[in-house]
Amino acid sequence: MGDAATILLVDDDKDFLELERRILESRGYRVICFSDTRTALSALNAAGQAVTPDLVVTDLMMTNLDSGFTFARALKADPHTAGLPVIIVSAVSSQKGFDFKPRTAADLEAMGADAFFDKPVAPEALLDKVKELLG
Amino acid sequence: MSEPAPAPPADSASISALPVRAAQPARILVVDDELGVREGCRKILAAEGYEAVTAGDGKAGLEQFLERGPFAALLVDLQMPRMSGLELMREVRSRDPDIVPIIITAHATIDTAVEGTRQGAYSYIPKPFTPDELLLTIKNGLERRTLMLEARRLRQEREKRLLELASERSKSNTIIAAMTDGILVINTDKLVVLRNNAAARILPDCASREIPFPLEAITSPDVKEIVSVVIDSPGGFMILSRQIPLGQSTYMVNVSPVIEPGGETSGAVAVFSDVTEMKKLDTAKSMFVSLVAHEVKSPLAATEGWLNLILSGMLKQDAAEEHRMLQRALLRVRTLRTMVNELLSLTAIQTGNFSLKRAPVKVAALVAEVVEANREKAAEKKIVISMSGEDSGDALCVLADRDTLSMVYANLVENAIKYSREDGHVWVSVRESGMYVTVAVKDDGIGLSPEDCTKVFDEFYRARNEHTASIPGTGLGLSLVKRLTELHEGTVTVASTLGKGSEFTVSIPVLAGASDPVTRS
Repeated sequence: MGDAATILLVDDDKDFLELERRILESRGYRVICFSDTRTALSALNAAGQAVTPDLVVTDLMMTNLDSGFTFARALKADPHTAGLPVIIVSAVSSQKGFDFKPRTAADLEAMGADAFFDKPVAPEALLDKVKELLG
Repeated sequence: MSEPAPAPPADSASISALPVRAAQPARILVVDDELGVREGCRKILAAEGYEAVTAGDGKAGLEQFLERGPFAALLVDLQMPRMSGLELMREVRSRDPDIVPIIITAHATIDTAVEGTRQGAYSYIPKPFTPDELLLTIKNGLERRTLMLEARRLRQEREKRLLELASERSKSNTIIAAMTDGILVINTDKLVVLRNNAAARILPDCASREIPFPLEAITSPDVKEIVSVVIDSPGGFMILSRQIPLGQSTYMVNVSPVIEPGGETSGAVAVFSDVTEMKKLDTAKSMFVSLVAHEVKSPLAATEGWLNLILSGMLKQDAAEEHRMLQRALLRVRTLRTMVNELLSLTAIQTGNFSLKRAPVKVAALVAEVVEANREKAAEKKIVISMSGEDSGDALCVLADRDTLSMVYANLVENAIKYSREDGHVWVSVRESGMYVTVAVKDDGIGLSPEDCTKVFDEFYRARNEHTASIPGTGLGLSLVKRLTELHEGTVTVASTLGKGSEFTVSIPVLAGASDPVTRS
């Protein structure tokens, strides 16, 4: 509590953006919100005044399905952000009949994520996972 | 001896209907120039139940034959005045080849007998003869005739049946060949014994094989298996159906046993029906259901999220904050309800259950109502709506369901307001263009990308960009507009520039004659 870790939050649905922001802020985390991954990525890479979060919470299906996955993988691929824990919170866990809900650690790793939650995420579950990942 | 002889045929065409034993006595023509001989014969024959007709020479005999025939047998003397016995026999046999000619002659020599039989006589009786000799010869001749007629009747019946069977077979073959479903018949030795054209096309790997060929020659293990299971099933009453992909298509393969009248299985029939299109529809339907589920889940999850947050008490919100959150939740629930209503309408249209109550509708008046109903909403965003063409008055009429058409125009006006910036402008116009009444709704709002323009009428498609993210929508409104417009034989189009604004145009066929004051009154 009140350790003032910074969390980067991405969701194109402003209800979820605000919901998750409030949940995270209730534990004293600093939350930076973005409604799309492109802006979030450029904020992370902005020279000089780059945002330096300790953890990322992102939606999956935004401008297109891939955006959440692409974003998570881009973070893991970049040495500056590779160490950032990523939590995916999504209402979608299947596409065209393919269930992509991760069930094992390997599934999560393939997604470039450290945790996956179905929407709406229970406040306590999200907070516990954040605490665990910030360790 | 006293057995009544069968009657001769009335004519050869009735042979097949000839009963083996007739009630009528056999009729015999007796031709002899010796009165004693012909009368003697007549008496002997009559006593045995035959009906004998006599004539004194060949010519008279032919006349009797022609007048009183047909006869079962001809008793004929060889040497007679006017027309000889052989000549008469020829004449008679040319008209009735089934008659039994028997020669009676006093000049019994080998030569005449040979000549007589060569010309078709059944037998000959040398004069003088006893009644028994005569009757025995006649009886044998008639029996032979009966057997011959019966044999011919049977042969003709069989030929007729064969002919019918052949034509039935060729009919069945033609029908089987013409069927679009593939058909294979496989016997219990697992040999393919019949294959129609469609089956050859469906199973191209064995199309060049001559019938019969082994089932093994078919490449698809699924086809081989399903056929084998049916043929090998004990009792042979198993019917199997399976969807099997073959080439680019999917087939429903139905295999049923061929059961003989005795109850024995003699093989199996496999019918291949192309279900590729049905499968595609099925997949599309599943995809749509999955899409709907996802679209429903987001507003539901957001609502649940807000309620969770309020109930958790973890935020220690004041009443005003809670009220604001409840309103956010309410907004999502309303969107959800609209979505469900729109889905129900779309489904009703697709299943043909959306009924239109058509009547002449004055478009300008209807559009003016829609605009008025949206003025307040527009004012909240300081958007000005201007309308042109409302003075067209009664002139522009369409035959439409007023409520449905109102929904179409309202959807466009609401969209124009929704996707406009504050202080924007919305222009609504009604005009006649050719055979159509065209309503255009134009805004100077956020606009659409060319890609969005092509997809904006698709179900659940929503343009996604930084401007639309906070605008609630179902992604169904415009697809509903399109369907409803099409129900009115109309069209809807969009022209847009991203960042500059959009123009949606709905054209409905003008109601001819409606502007004529006489017909309208």
